[in-house]
Amino acid sequence: MTRLVVRPAAAVSFTLHRRGLLAGAGLIVAIVVAVLASLSIGSTFVQPGDVVRAIFDIPTWAEKVVELRTPRIVLALVVGAALGLAGALLQGVSRNPLASPDVIGVSQGAGLAASIVIVAGAPIAVLPPLALLGGLGAAAVVLLFGSVRGNRFVLAGIAVAVALRALTEIVIVGAAPVDGQRAQVWIVGTLAGWGYDEALVVAIVIAVLTPVLFWAGRALDTSALSDDVARAIGVRVGPRRLVMAVSGVILAAFATAQVGAVDFVALAAPQIARRLAKAERPPLFCAALTGALLTVVADTAARTLFAPTQLPVGVLTAALGGPYLIWLLVRGKR
Amino acid sequence: MGWRRVLVLVGASVSAVLAVLASLAVGNLGIPLGDVWRALVSPDDSAHSLIVQTQRIPRTLLGVAAGAALAVAGVLMQSLTRNPLADPRIMGVSSGASLGVVIAITLFGVDTLPGYVWFGVFGAFVTGMLVYTLAARTRTGSSPVTLALVGAALDASFSAVVVAVLTLDAQTFEQYRFWVIGSLAGRPADVTFTVLPFIVAGLLLAVISARGLDALALGEEVAVGLGSRIAVTRFGAAAGSVLLTGAAVAAAGPIGFVGLAVPHFARALVGSDHRWLLAVSVPLGIVFLLGADVIGRVILLPDEVRAGVITAVLGAPILLLLVRRPRLVTA
Repeated sequence: MTRLVVRPAAAVSFTLHRRGLLAGAGLIVAIVVAVLASLSIGSTFVQPGDVVRAIFDIPTWAEKVVELRTPRIVLALVVGAALGLAGALLQGVSRNPLASPDVIGVSQGAGLAASIVIVAGAPIAVLPPLALLGGLGAAAVVLLFGSVRGNRFVLAGIAVAVALRALTEIVIVGAAPVDGQRAQVWIVGTLAGWGYDEALVVAIVIAVLTPVLFWAGRALDTSALSDDVARAIGVRVGPRRLVMAVSGVILAAFATAQVGAVDFVALAAPQIARRLAKAERPPLFCAALTGALLTVVADTAARTLFAPTQLPVGVLTAALGGPYLIWLLVRGKR
Repeated sequence: MGWRRVLVLVGASVSAVLAVLASLAVGNLGIPLGDVWRALVSPDDSAHSLIVQTQRIPRTLLGVAAGAALAVAGVLMQSLTRNPLADPRIMGVSSGASLGVVIAITLFGVDTLPGYVWFGVFGAFVTGMLVYTLAARTRTGSSPVTLALVGAALDASFSAVVVAVLTLDAQTFEQYRFWVIGSLAGRPADVTFTVLPFIVAGLLLAVISARGLDALALGEEVAVGLGSRIAVTRFGAAAGSVLLTGAAVAAAGPIGFVGLAVPHFARALVGSDHRWLLAVSVPLGIVFLLGADVIGRVILLPDEVRAGVITAVLGAPILLLLVRRPRLVTA
């Protein structure tokens, strides 16, 4: 693995993976292309030239169309990035590729809280904060019962996730059909009808956690060592792991509370990013970019593929991410 | 240790018999026990007798078959992949069965439950074999992690196709609902008899590979050194687990958690010898699924809650407590 050592000041240094940088650059280019494509595709087709003109405030007929499409795309980018980061943190810390917020109960906790809010007829404004509490509460139970690492963590998570989903079903079965259906739609997760406000909340969370993420990026490298070795070189294993897991849970819970459970991004993005960057652990930066790219492409497809019917974005993230992940896994053979 | 295991097996079997009796006697229409007994030994045309004959007996039969099949399949999958997290959902087999049923409805216009069953078993079998084959083609081979990843990826992709078809096609959705929400209820006895051969075959494969799995648990090289034919064991356990899950899911719809939780309960009771593990998980699976079904019938009267929901609500706390036991799950 080629590494570049960066030393901006005498006391500060960090290493960069050359392959990781390359993958990151490629992903950014792909995101730009995807965003441009997403701005131009829709019920009215806008020439890419007009899209660029609208972005740079040069007068064009398409200003309004582009303006209308932008918030949803921004939201897709931010939510995707948050989920990618969340997955990378949880998978890195538990060393288990299955540890993602929709496998360990965060999404289901948010879903249970949301369906109770909807069925009880409470004002919709209380839904995101309560969904957030639901997600965090579920994660707290998982962390209490299954220590932060390995199979025990994921097994406890699956138990909690399955139980919460079952309770949600009881709530939905007992509700009036209309409410039940609304709850179901919220749980599946869709970006339709949301915009800048939701994106802003998630973006602030990412910004606040950025220092933690930089630190975690380094910490994840030493996580590859066995616990004994890590302890021997002076790493405080327990607290560090807890901080990373909690940050991952917070990212996922905020994203889910805003838009519902967008499936599979948090599971697939870190694994795809790890293979693109040829890294040992899921790389945080690339995972965020992969998550954003996957969500934007999936949402564009969800919006346009069967227009005027819109599919939930989670369906498309799974339909696109699943086969690609399998291809990456199988191609790895030599 | 020997006596304890025998005691556990006897206890579990007695509980299974009690669960079967409860399933025959309890329902959301209160039928006196005397009438239930008469309906069993000398069925006549009375309403109570008809309900027992056409509703409760088929439902109980399916519960016995599906409970045993899911539990044994769970033991096989977890041992084969050496992954305590393996269960039909994570291995993609459940959504393979769902996809098979959706294909049966949309492409072939099948509209009877016994008709769906064939497609469900076929879908599950193809998916299961696809997971094992794809995982074997990766660089790390069929390591637990790769298997779980491939399974999760296939599961997500297939579920996505199912949800997409259901969203776009209201008519398919109506029929699919019938299959997916029924759980054990409303399944005619034909359904159980259609899948029974698959379940018997799966159980036989499980019995045959039990010794091999014991050897495999020591590690691949040790197993070869002991003269165990690991390719045969692997194929037997893989085919057995896929047949069993496919049959259970095709007949009763996706029932989560039995396949994941029962093997852990069994391991906590009798240790890791596979012959004991398999033997105990049969009655435990029956108790768990039928018990959940009985509770689901009466807990929200007059509505019914499907068995899969109750298994999750009851099983999760027990599994959480088991997870804390240090020896049970290796980190």
